Amino acid sequence: MSTSVRNITRIAILALACCAAVQRPPSGGSSAGSDTIRIPFESYTLPNGLTVILSADHTTPTVAVNVWYHVGSKNEMPGRTGFAHLFEHIMFTGSGHVPYGLHDKLTEGVGGGNNGTTSNDRTTYFETVPSNYLESALWLESDRMGFLLDKLDIAKLNAQRDIVKNERRQSYENQPYGLVSEILSHATYPASHPYSWSVIGSMADLSAASEEDVKNFFRLYYAPNNAFLAVVGDFDPAQARAWVAKYFGDISRGKPVTRPSAPPVTLASGQRLVYEDRVQVPRLYIEWPTVGVKNDDQYALDVLGSILTGPRTARLTKALVYDQQAAASVSAYQSSNEDVGEFFLMVIPRPNHSLTDLEASADAIIEKLKKEGPTEDEIRRAAAGDELAFLRGLESNLGKAMTLCDGAGFHGDPGYFRTEYQKSQAVTAADVKRVANKYLTDGRVVLSVVPLGKLDQASKPSESKKVTIEKMPSPEVKR
Amino acid sequence: MKRKSPNLKFVGVFLCALALLAFASFPLLSQQALDRTKIPPAGKAPVLRVPTWTRTTLANGAELMVSEKHDLPLVSFSLTILGGSYQFEPASRRGLAGITAAMMSEGTKTRDGDALSSAMQLLGTTVGVAIGTESGTMSFVSTSSKFAATLDILADMLLNPTFPGDALERLRAQRLVALTQAKAQPASIAERVFPRVLYGSAHPFGQNVTEESYKAITRDDVVAFHKTYFQPGRALIMVSGDVNPAAVKATIEKALANWSAGGSKPAFSYPELPERRATTIYLVDKPGAAQSTFAIGNPGPPRNTPDYYAIQVMNTMLGGLFQSRLNANIREEKGYSYGVSSSFAFGKGPGPFRAGGDVQSAKTDAALIEFMKELRGIEGSRPVSDEELTTAKDALIQRLPSTFASVSAINGAIATLWTQGLPDTYYQEYGRAVGAVTKDDVVRVAKKYIDLDHLNIVIVGDRASIEGPLKATGIAPIVVLDIEGNPTTSR
Repeated sequence: MSTSVRNITRIAILALACCAAVQRPPSGGSSAGSDTIRIPFESYTLPNGLTVILSADHTTPTVAVNVWYHVGSKNEMPGRTGFAHLFEHIMFTGSGHVPYGLHDKLTEGVGGGNNGTTSNDRTTYFETVPSNYLESALWLESDRMGFLLDKLDIAKLNAQRDIVKNERRQSYENQPYGLVSEILSHATYPASHPYSWSVIGSMADLSAASEEDVKNFFRLYYAPNNAFLAVVGDFDPAQARAWVAKYFGDISRGKPVTRPSAPPVTLASGQRLVYEDRVQVPRLYIEWPTVGVKNDDQYALDVLGSILTGPRTARLTKALVYDQQAAASVSAYQSSNEDVGEFFLMVIPRPNHSLTDLEASADAIIEKLKKEGPTEDEIRRAAAGDELAFLRGLESNLGKAMTLCDGAGFHGDPGYFRTEYQKSQAVTAADVKRVANKYLTDGRVVLSVVPLGKLDQASKPSESKKVTIEKMPSPEVKR
Repeated sequence: MKRKSPNLKFVGVFLCALALLAFASFPLLSQQALDRTKIPPAGKAPVLRVPTWTRTTLANGAELMVSEKHDLPLVSFSLTILGGSYQFEPASRRGLAGITAAMMSEGTKTRDGDALSSAMQLLGTTVGVAIGTESGTMSFVSTSSKFAATLDILADMLLNPTFPGDALERLRAQRLVALTQAKAQPASIAERVFPRVLYGSAHPFGQNVTEESYKAITRDDVVAFHKTYFQPGRALIMVSGDVNPAAVKATIEKALANWSAGGSKPAFSYPELPERRATTIYLVDKPGAAQSTFAIGNPGPPRNTPDYYAIQVMNTMLGGLFQSRLNANIREEKGYSYGVSSSFAFGKGPGPFRAGGDVQSAKTDAALIEFMKELRGIEGSRPVSDEELTTAKDALIQRLPSTFASVSAINGAIATLWTQGLPDTYYQEYGRAVGAVTKDDVVRVAKKYIDLDHLNIVIVGDRASIEGPLKATGIAPIVVLDIEGNPTTSR
């Protein structure tokens, strides 16, 4: 998932949000049974369509509020890439009854925090506050859901536009290898496909965004019927229900939202690209289009990633980093979005080892796995860490709020984390072999990033097509 | 239907009351009685619940503290060694502490590296070894049922490492690649050059890991470092979570039975700081950079300064929060950056004060002017408002509960008291100490610890486009450095 955030210095908090969470059963047992994978919650829908999820946990006197809007960069129109994320920034510039700055004062200024993040699929806003500040947090969120446009300030829009451009410079353009994900997206998806552009968007499109764009986007996507509100932590559920009704109940329902068509793709043939960057060490990236969170193959693809790289016993890590000592590091993983996904491989070579050789070595290891499948022991090791990861996720109110909203937004079930856990644990060696053969095919993008002027350091340099920011690649696609 | 609600902000209390009465009998309109202009008041502040812990000493002299938390079947374990690379690493072997830490996962007398890794994977966890500049840890978080088995692996890594020579060569090669990559990254360059400028090459704070220091490290160095460093006489074992203090002590005594007594807490004596130099801009060229990375500062006081609380309040106002002066101005108002901040790196030694962030290249000069304006401001030219002072204090005091939100956070919070020599009552007294800070204190410590006449302004960016504008600001003379922090001879 490609994500941009309001404030990078506080991104650490998001790491917690990646883990789902469970509740210890009264018996206190901790065996990895599905009985332990539990978050107690209640969920209901207001007449205006807002889905509300409440989960009380009095361990720490804090509470997390998360508002999850089902809109992301895939809802953007060509020519307005980056808009969903720019809009996220505008949501922090004040609203009808909340002057600019008060949002930070009532969150960070009282010992809590706030941030927003935008992905291809959704935009999410959250506060963590001492539990006695829950009512003001709900007031803040309801005001920007209901009354953002009342105080829309063009000077603030322009300042946020400059800030987002600096975010692009800091996290992409001025970052060694920072443009890789953007190049790979362009190479994997046809230009009309909503996953072909990056969440951060292009500089030109960011410049083009107008006040009218902001208004239209808000009216269509920031309505309660397109939103999910989770409250997790130390609060009284009856009181929370009353406050939610009080602050969100009178916000009008919006028009039904049409979701963009974004089917998974298959590449008719391989693409081989080379990008020159201000780096000293070349890198090899390979991306295979796969599937998103609604396709159960994602679970076997996750396991495939941890069988290939990560611990030193993982196949590619062991072969390239330890036995051959040809790579300084290697990593492979499945990334699942709502509609599509990708499987990535990255190799950082050691000096005097060419990307061409490393690609061939990696391919040989992958081909062997495709032929033989993983061992039962590899499957067991891959699944053994799941329970601890779930339990640790339970220690974060915000992590739980994210998990519940993702389930509700993507699967129509806040408790979907339980299904995910069961499906992850149920992955077999045969499943992994099958998905490796189905997805890790020649229909892939191979991207070499090389130092300026060192095109010869690419993998198979003579077959590699040069790409630049101005001249992004595009695939030949078969549906 | 009701997207625009009547704005009652300027309507008197009397009219509000009338409106309430008038709408009360019309259910459809009764929602309009909600006065959204009124900030919902905070409820009663929750009582601060600081974890408690037991203290005891193991047979070998290591201290043991245990804090129980039973809501989840989780345990956090850490073995902390007081002292780090600055105390135990020779200047010519910078990187030795980190390499030694990594080498401890490369095999024991009974398990090679792969066997260690497989065993940890099956337990679902990883034993981390990290040696920092003033302390080091071996640590893990496990489910309570896997605690004893994981502890056995940690003990094996601590007591029986074999330090295979080929693993050293592999780790050295990997780290050299990482170092080369870091030199292409503006933030990493600033990370190396800034301390070098502040402390000089004769002070451990100013000594960076280099190709030469990595290449000089031998297997004998690793063996010797491990033997000298990991001694129970300077160790704290901290356990938090779903454990019983008496039972866990027995488990630990058994697992670490072969860790024999020895070692003592190191003295944290540092050489004198280099003589202060008049405020200077140290420019590191990064041709074509889209942004300039700023690191502005000077050596700061150690953690045990009596001014600690006043400094925290002052820095929170200056650059510790999103709406702090620096970020509110340079990011939010001017749009020059995606974020700027400031901090004091508190420890046993004179860790730096640093203000900085990444700024759009074309705004480098303008941003420097604003940085200097805010530093002068906090030293008195822009008075501290009541609201600023209250917000800074509230932010610091009320974030305390989240310090104890997870077993690993509790572990860290309590271990910090031990490494920094703070009293057991520290967290209970924290609110009172922060609350006592005055506006005069804020200005006093800003003047005392941010030395505007001897400031080091490190900027990593595109020299060709930023040097002229920086010179034109007239703020300070410019010295051009290479990416290692050495003066260049060109121009």
